[in-house]
Amino acid sequence: MDANDDELPPLDPAESLRLIAREQAATVRRLTPDPRLLLWPWGLAWLVGFGVFFLRFGPGGRVYVDMPDFLPLTVLLAAITLAGIVTGFVGARAGRQVSGPTSRQGAMYGFTWSVAFIGMAVLLSRVSELLPVPDANLLWAGAMVALTGALHMAGGALWNDRVLYVLGISISVVNVVGIALGPGWHALVVAVLGGGGMLVAGLVSWLRMPR
Amino acid sequence: MTGALPELDPVIHAQARLRVVSALATLRADDRIAFPRLQDILRMTAGNLSVHLRKLEDAGYVEVTKTHQGRTPATLVRLTGRGRVAFDDYTAALRALLNGTTNLQEEP
Repeated sequence: MDANDDELPPLDPAESLRLIAREQAATVRRLTPDPRLLLWPWGLAWLVGFGVFFLRFGPGGRVYVDMPDFLPLTVLLAAITLAGIVTGFVGARAGRQVSGPTSRQGAMYGFTWSVAFIGMAVLLSRVSELLPVPDANLLWAGAMVALTGALHMAGGALWNDRVLYVLGISISVVNVVGIALGPGWHALVVAVLGGGGMLVAGLVSWLRMPR
Repeated sequence: MTGALPELDPVIHAQARLRVVSALATLRADDRIAFPRLQDILRMTAGNLSVHLRKLEDAGYVEVTKTHQGRTPATLVRLTGRGRVAFDDYTAALRALLNGTTNLQEEP
């Protein structure tokens, strides 16, 4: 664009208002982290991780797919770590573009997840070995999903994001239903409804971005 | 229509600066955007954007700060309170103009 053209006023008020709306939509779209990148890695991690759990530790101790008993937890932890790295990277990139209250909020929220999960892991690793394996698995999975549901609800409140808030409530409800059904079933409903819910929420949030 | 049509702020009433101010107005107060990111969003050259930011800075509408993020120097831009008021007044004036011309066209 020629610098002299830049000085020209927009053609008329209607055109100016359209220019403003277009520019603002483009800016919001470019500065908001892609919700698919924030939610899909977690949705896939749950789908795969809890899916493998269900296949190895099914309801009533059934083994649908025979594999070493350490494998499901290893797969789940690896998938969750990978998802954490992806979302951490996306969040940090957003923080480098805009600095100020918004990025501080994002950093504090991200840090909250880490602290909450470390606290949970420290407590549960002390008590879970006292339980039979299916119940110990349920304890870990149920606590992790409860914390995730609550933190998504807190995130929805923080960013005034209804999709995220509804996702948090759905995860919390699915978790309670799964716990009531017992070990095995919990892994299945969390994989399908929890993981699937995150995939859907990522898609809905993305579709609702201004364009 | 009663009264004169509102005058448009000449600082903002240029396509390039209107785009700059529109983009900056989407940020929350006190949030600052990195210069290269703003340049990328607006698809302007660095030189061109600098020229317009200087004019907006002279009017007191934007604040440009040079800082360091780690070891890399960074230039951050934000809309001042005065800039935000000017942008709101400008859009209000546009709407008033738009309604005014519509009314005129409706007259026989």
